[in-house]
Amino acid sequence: MIRSIGLAAALALATSVAWAQGTIKIAIVGPMAFVQGEHHWNGAQMARDEINKAGGISVGGKRMQIELIRGDTNEILSVPDATNTMERVITRDGADFVIGGFRSEAVLAMQEVAMDHKKLFLGVGAAHSKLGANVEADYDRYKYWFRVAPTKDVDLARTLFAVMGSIAQQIRSELKTETPKVALLAEKAVWTEGLIKAAQKNLPAMKMEVVGLWQPSATATDVTAELAAIDRSGAHIVFTILSGPVGISVGRQMGERNMKAVAWGINVEAQKEEFWQAAAGKAQFVSTLDTYAEVEMTPKTIPFVKAYEARFNKAPTYTAATYDAIHLLKSAIEKAGTTDADKLVAVIEKMEHVGTGSTATWDKRHDLIWAVGKTAGIAVQWQDGKKVPFWPPSVKGMKPFKMPAR
Amino acid sequence: MYWLRRAWAELRTEVFVLPSRTLVLVWALALLALPAVYADAYVLRILTMTCLFAIVAASWDLLAGYTGQVNFGHALFFGAGAYTTALLSLRLGIPPWLSVWAGAAVAMVFGFVVGFLCLRLRGSYLSLATLAFPLIALGILFAFPDFSGGELGMSGLRRLAVSPTANYYIAVLAMLAVVFGLWLLADSKFGIVLHAIRDDEVAVRASGINTLKYKLIVFAISGAAAGFAGALFAHSLRVAGPSTLETALSFQVVIWGIFGGLATIYGPVAAVFVLYPLTEWLGTFRTFGELRLLIFAVIVLLVLLFMPRGLAPWVRDKVETACPRCKQRNGAWRSVCRLCGAALKTQVAGAKGFVGHQ
Amino acid sequence: MIQDIFVTGLVNSGVYALLAIGFSLIFGVARIVNIAHTAFYMLAAYCFYTLLVKVGMNFVAAALLAVGGVTLLSVLCYRLIIEPVREHEAAVLIATIALALIFQELMLYTFGGSFLGVPSTLEGSMRVFGVSVPYQRLLILVVAIVVLAGVWYLLYRTRLGLAIRSTANDIEVANLMGMNVHRIAMVTVAISVALAAVAGVVVSPVFVVDPFMWLAPLVTMLAIVVLGGLGSIKGSLIGAIIIGYVEAITVFALPGGAYLKGAVALLIMVIVLLVRPEGLFGVAFEEER
Repeated sequence: MIRSIGLAAALALATSVAWAQGTIKIAIVGPMAFVQGEHHWNGAQMARDEINKAGGISVGGKRMQIELIRGDTNEILSVPDATNTMERVITRDGADFVIGGFRSEAVLAMQEVAMDHKKLFLGVGAAHSKLGANVEADYDRYKYWFRVAPTKDVDLARTLFAVMGSIAQQIRSELKTETPKVALLAEKAVWTEGLIKAAQKNLPAMKMEVVGLWQPSATATDVTAELAAIDRSGAHIVFTILSGPVGISVGRQMGERNMKAVAWGINVEAQKEEFWQAAAGKAQFVSTLDTYAEVEMTPKTIPFVKAYEARFNKAPTYTAATYDAIHLLKSAIEKAGTTDADKLVAVIEKMEHVGTGSTATWDKRHDLIWAVGKTAGIAVQWQDGKKVPFWPPSVKGMKPFKMPAR
Repeated sequence: MYWLRRAWAELRTEVFVLPSRTLVLVWALALLALPAVYADAYVLRILTMTCLFAIVAASWDLLAGYTGQVNFGHALFFGAGAYTTALLSLRLGIPPWLSVWAGAAVAMVFGFVVGFLCLRLRGSYLSLATLAFPLIALGILFAFPDFSGGELGMSGLRRLAVSPTANYYIAVLAMLAVVFGLWLLADSKFGIVLHAIRDDEVAVRASGINTLKYKLIVFAISGAAAGFAGALFAHSLRVAGPSTLETALSFQVVIWGIFGGLATIYGPVAAVFVLYPLTEWLGTFRTFGELRLLIFAVIVLLVLLFMPRGLAPWVRDKVETACPRCKQRNGAWRSVCRLCGAALKTQVAGAKGFVGHQ
Repeated sequence: MIQDIFVTGLVNSGVYALLAIGFSLIFGVARIVNIAHTAFYMLAAYCFYTLLVKVGMNFVAAALLAVGGVTLLSVLCYRLIIEPVREHEAAVLIATIALALIFQELMLYTFGGSFLGVPSTLEGSMRVFGVSVPYQRLLILVVAIVVLAGVWYLLYRTRLGLAIRSTANDIEVANLMGMNVHRIAMVTVAISVALAAVAGVVVSPVFVVDPFMWLAPLVTMLAIVVLGGLGSIKGSLIGAIIIGYVEAITVFALPGGAYLKGAVALLIMVIVLLVRPEGLFGVAFEEER
């Protein structure tokens, strides 16, 4: 009896001491009115609650709690709004670390603000290589930037072709064609140029024929023209490189036309849970690169996805990797014994962090080092209203890839 | 010594006699003195943006308010300045001090071209045609992504000065210089001709004035000012992207212009200084921060309903009256005009009983 | 490909015609450049979505309610917001911009920024001239033709139409002739927004619904009315057909250049304006003093 009272008192004292010791302020910046920002914040909240409940972060023996600062950058609509928000969370709200970002044009400007103030900025959302190239070009200024998710745009290509190869094999065996035909459907944007060139070079080498390139606008709502032409070309695979709402139109109209070709590639809208409804239930067989599913990418993946779904009633998208970013910070701080940015940079550079979506290591550009099963992500396909993961086959929990009936 | 006495005399007779001008002087001094009192980086950043947008709004007013060419595509000049300075600075390595002037010059050329294309257009046709130009420019930029950086724009521009305070002063001084210059221009004989063009272009042509020349010049000046602001903006943010050409920005400029009061120059500047920090401040609130654009639009609507001529004229009418004889403005507390001596407030109290008699 | 262009152009033109004619009507009669026109189109799409998907009504009821509701809202907005500032043209302009922004933000707040899909009224497709055309698009075309015919009948064969046309022609004389120009303006606003609402309802299953869907059609619609001549119904119709086909041709003939279709349409508008500053069928109004 006395022992339990004593224990309770000790615990109470310990927690109050922990509270009194101070907080680490982490700013989460993203477009909070949109899906991406929503997941930024959700993932961060989960991490904060978990860590604080377990006692907080130990900084050289002192226990500190995490306090989150919510920064709505509105970056999708306004780049100056994003930089204003960055300035505010750093100077006004006193953030020690900044995590988030999504729209590459905005994140480039946001990176400048963070580097001006020498604050650690962990990117979770923007894939543009320039962010990493800056680190290589001017290390002393940009070293405080690390990209936690996704892999940089160039590496996405490697994953895409790896999966493409596996789909092509399935087509060869099921349809008995030696050279599957591929139609390239890429939105007209700078980020797709590299991928298009890579496809035009690599696919023939992989014994696939490129039958044409179609480039709708990222915000196009009607892709009848493109799909009609693709139908005529007899393509087996439609290689999609889409990030805007055109991805929804493609999914829906392919289904409405009962196209025999199957869509694979990057389709950012198709990564969202709302995609099935947005495509009016027609986007069967649309497949895309993704990050989270109930598969054992790492031992943490399935518990995280399940807990996320239980708390927020939806599956996480890749911007929920703020969870990983915060855990990464915790490990780094505890290892370095300090919250000093320069020392943390040195620690993170050498770390291998087992997160929920990846096992991350960094190169000299502070970009993720690409490796299948570690950072390459997964591939999912929409089947009957659900996202079904099908690649890489080495990870437990993968299901088979399905193709439209011929 | 003479100049000091002269300045003091000017101040006494021209500025302090009118509350509105005194207010402007106080505001300018406050802006200049701010960093000495409160050097918060966030506040300085917001005010830097405000000053740059104020230049754009003032330049729009010269074009739309004074000359009646209601331009729905003002963002074209802003973006032209931003992209030019970015291209010169990144591709050719030209120092920012030079490239911002080049940005203004290129925007001036754009002004000429737009003005030339719109010479024969009137009213709503002009407005809607000008709406098209930034969008066509965007299409061209996206068509040549290697040149323009496509949807990502160009990043990595150098700042004009290193510290936020220095950047702030650059923006404030630029704004004061450009806005004051535009105001002097509008207040001169040149401005009278512009006013006349807005009211009745046919009559002006009939009086022998070459309206084409005036319209082209105004487009060019307005474009140059907006381009200058755009170039400064690009260096301030260190990124020049397609967001500088957005229709939303053009609409925003129109709102500032009309909200502040057309044909005043200082009206739109006041509107920017009121609305931009206000929307920023609203954005900091967790609960309704996401609604700030909505609140902004509602405020604009409400102000329109009660002050249809704009904010600045409404405020001015409250603190000043116009003399019925010489038309010059006086402080509202005066009973006699300061220039011609006419009575400012007519004695109507006793006349009530005479209604209907004359 | 020619058949693709023919059919797609026809459907595009139908939608644009619905939007452009409504806009032209308001401008012709009330001299209001209603920037919020396509915002009402967006509201109707959201209304239709809510009634159809969330409440579970059938298509016809949902469509009628959506159109009716939005029309009533527009009349309300006109009375409360536009009419008090009618005299100040500039104020009317930003009042409509502010209104459009308010609608956008309300939709953003209520439904979030993600895209919504509206189920099609008719599933399946048929072959027209060898082109596979979904029934939904044929429905759009049919509805557009029926509604436009109705508007033509209203304008040219009824007394109300006569009143509207005369007010558009010369508002002062119409007033002198004893017509209640305020009431006519209100009725015109209602008809015009109803047209936009119908467009929103039939088109929403084919496009995606999001709070910013009003911006792109706004620009194209403005290009059309300016091209055809502000205030001219015939001009808007012909402008809609021209721009609808220009877009179809751009998309089909330049597979890599589909993103340019907006810019091309605007370029055509600018070129036409250079040659004819009042648009194709516009009437150069006497400088109204």
